[in-house]
Amino acid sequence: MQDLLSVVTLGSIYLLFALGMSLTWGTIDILNFGHGAIFMFSSFTAYLVLQQTELGLPLIMLIGLIVGALMSLLIQVLAFEQIIKRAKDKRAAEMQILIGGIGVAIIPLAIAQHYTKSNPFGFSKSTFKVNTWTMGDLRITNIAALSIVVAVVLWVSAAVWLRRSRQGLALRSIGVDAETAALMGIDRRKMALATMAVAGGMAGLSGVLFTFGLGAITPESGDTLLVKAFACIILGGVGSMRGVAFGAFFLAAAETVVLTQTSGSWVEAVSFGLIFLVLLVRPSGVFGRAEVRRT
Amino acid sequence: MSAQPVEQTTTPVLELRDLAVHFGGVKAVDGISMKLMPGLIYGIIGPNGSGKSTLIGAITRLTRMTRGELLFDGASYEHVPPSRLAQLRVTRTFQTVRLLPDLNVRANIQIGADARTTSEQKAGRRPSWFERLRGPAASPGVADAIRRTRLEGFESYYPSEMSYGTQRRVEIARALAMDPRLLLLDEPTAGMNQSERAEISGLLRDLREEGLTQLLVEHDVQMMLDTCDYVFAMNSGQLIAEGEPDEVVRNPAVQEAYLGKKWGKDA
Amino acid sequence: MMSFYDSHLVLFQATFTGLILALSIQVPLRMGVFSFAGAGSYGIGAYLAAILVIKQDASAFVAIGAAMLATAVIGLLLGLLIFKLNGLYLAMATVAFDLIIGVIAINGGKTTGGSTGLYGVITDFTMSQLFTITLIALVLVALSEVGRTGRRVDAVRDDPELASSMGISLRRYRLTAFVVSGALGGLAGSMNVLVRSAIGPLDIGFGLIVLGLTMIVVGGSRSWKGAVIGAVIFTWLPDVLTAIGAWQELVYGIVVALAAVFLPRGIYGVLVDLNKGLQRRSRERHDPPPAAAEEAAGDVDPTTGDVRELALNEEAVP
Repeated sequence: MQDLLSVVTLGSIYLLFALGMSLTWGTIDILNFGHGAIFMFSSFTAYLVLQQTELGLPLIMLIGLIVGALMSLLIQVLAFEQIIKRAKDKRAAEMQILIGGIGVAIIPLAIAQHYTKSNPFGFSKSTFKVNTWTMGDLRITNIAALSIVVAVVLWVSAAVWLRRSRQGLALRSIGVDAETAALMGIDRRKMALATMAVAGGMAGLSGVLFTFGLGAITPESGDTLLVKAFACIILGGVGSMRGVAFGAFFLAAAETVVLTQTSGSWVEAVSFGLIFLVLLVRPSGVFGRAEVRRT
Repeated sequence: MSAQPVEQTTTPVLELRDLAVHFGGVKAVDGISMKLMPGLIYGIIGPNGSGKSTLIGAITRLTRMTRGELLFDGASYEHVPPSRLAQLRVTRTFQTVRLLPDLNVRANIQIGADARTTSEQKAGRRPSWFERLRGPAASPGVADAIRRTRLEGFESYYPSEMSYGTQRRVEIARALAMDPRLLLLDEPTAGMNQSERAEISGLLRDLREEGLTQLLVEHDVQMMLDTCDYVFAMNSGQLIAEGEPDEVVRNPAVQEAYLGKKWGKDA
Repeated sequence: MMSFYDSHLVLFQATFTGLILALSIQVPLRMGVFSFAGAGSYGIGAYLAAILVIKQDASAFVAIGAAMLATAVIGLLLGLLIFKLNGLYLAMATVAFDLIIGVIAINGGKTTGGSTGLYGVITDFTMSQLFTITLIALVLVALSEVGRTGRRVDAVRDDPELASSMGISLRRYRLTAFVVSGALGGLAGSMNVLVRSAIGPLDIGFGLIVLGLTMIVVGGSRSWKGAVIGAVIFTWLPDVLTAIGAWQELVYGIVVALAAVFLPRGIYGVLVDLNKGLQRRSRERHDPPPAAAEEAAGDVDPTTGDVRELALNEEAVP
């Protein structure tokens, strides 16, 4: 049971992180490799603020959310929009966005590494204290419980929003067919900016929660999560909200099994191996719509 | 190496038997049979979306076919990969201009000649690795193709520096540089003015005199009447008429499907 | 007193091995194959060469040769597995491959030295040998950019469908891309471990992919000259930037981001475009400009207008 609980906790963190990436990739075709940097830098900004003044949990979460959304908007306007404007076709734009994301991510990483000298940083100055609650045999920290709640709430609202609302419908139609969407009078640019802001906010929030959960993170921790989130997304199927949740918890479960059953640090290989396996066996993922593009 | 139609009058160069291409539920090409005899120019007409380009795609093996048979010189080739068709000296032009932006006119045409030299080398002497890497220094086919398509003076231009009509001539030149036995042309004169069309029509007729079999997808009825020996009319993936060009043009079914609007405009 | 060359020996070495690493990612890229497997091959090559030298007392050339052979074969197998994937999916599958190599290195126990890696890889490998091998590899890659092979590589990348209709086997070219990328990656890794005498898991992580990629993105992805420009810049930039002190990482990041966004074809691409422009100018001065030639061709018809305009009209007709 305790293992199951830790799977759920870990899965929630993956879900929070991967949700934003999945949202932008599935709807506006942006696989943002700056997502890991947003995650890390939002948390880092909160850390910098905490060096100056004491804050409680809600405000720290707010900082993460806002910094994440702003960074994501900035990347969209300064980098991805420029790339899309210049690219000759969709395929070229996709790859250029991947590379651009990797390039842009170097900047926040460099700043954080400069200040921390690549040492881990945490929120020891916050007024919020991590407690462990015990229910029978089960132990869970308050921050883990919070992460699970936040992840589930955000996931449900994203899924419902995509399915029900007018804007959600518009966004999904961009993902399926950009030209039709444009004909329907959907302002692609505004929708893209909104999506990027939401995704960035989620990344920032997960950064803060993740830092609380672990106590401290290193500036480089965004990179690993990036690849793990990619694994979650393609495992479930690009563009599928059910899929990304499935992917996140499946990955968490698989990693927990590997962690408890093997010695050494093979756990890192789980996500990489999963990516490989999924792409070979079922590239459209478990819940994904069939890939319609041709080579 | 030019084709000798006289020797093969009995075997069609290309034969399709009940060819079909379905995309999911859409029957883009649905049971087409045709025979192309050597040294003639064949035309396909039909409204947009009638499956003309899909048919060319299936013949050149770029589009996966659902059923049917393809025969070249009487030998079936429906399992041959598209890249091997160049060795049979079957080539095509595309509906849109497909030139490589980073290569100049000469190099773009040279790509066609490269395909020819490969198939010649397969037949004869093994070239050294260096020759294979570099390719031959100058192919006679390129100069010839440039001359025939009246592209002299444009050799060092890049596609982006030329007009649309000129780019289309480069496409035809590239196909000619392959020294084809069967040439499939998908709307070769789209975007050209009348005099350029007449010029291309003249070029295709000249090639016919040399024995080259051609299959031409064309929207322009005048071009069709001027150029083709025999015309197939398609609608909704099926053949609705075939015969002499003026016969097909007068066919009521064809007029209804396609020419009603178009004919009035062009005449 | 040390000469400039002696004091910067490490940087010269890093330039050469970095160049080969960049080429291992650039060669498949030029064929339209988005594979970063070169970085994984670098790791395999480095570890294999280190193990051969330490355990088997192999000579430098045997170690390099064995590493290249192994990585070429692995490249072929990897290619057969995944060459049908396209775009992003292929890119990520190869990133996963690279990262798995890193995990294997950490968990390899005594064979790979775990998280400390392997050290004491000492051979008689000299700087001039490093230079010569790099030069040979560079010339071979450069040869693939000219003549028929160059044209075909262009066709495979820019228009696969056209390429197959011109008799080019996409499968063969894509598989070749994997093999060459593997061999080059193995070469870069093995030579690097021979000059630096040590290799660890930290040397072959995600950062290696980013390094190789930034070199060709900034230098230029279409030509070996771009890889040379990139390798020189990113090996020497940190050294030059020490002048501005602690912020060098940031400047490095900004350079990469700007290039990735605004110069998709890199510095070399800009030079090529400039050159094309100059050529056009000189041609317009000496030869009849294209407009005149076209008018001559259309003289028969008095209604000759702008051909492009007609093209648009034609498309408007249903």
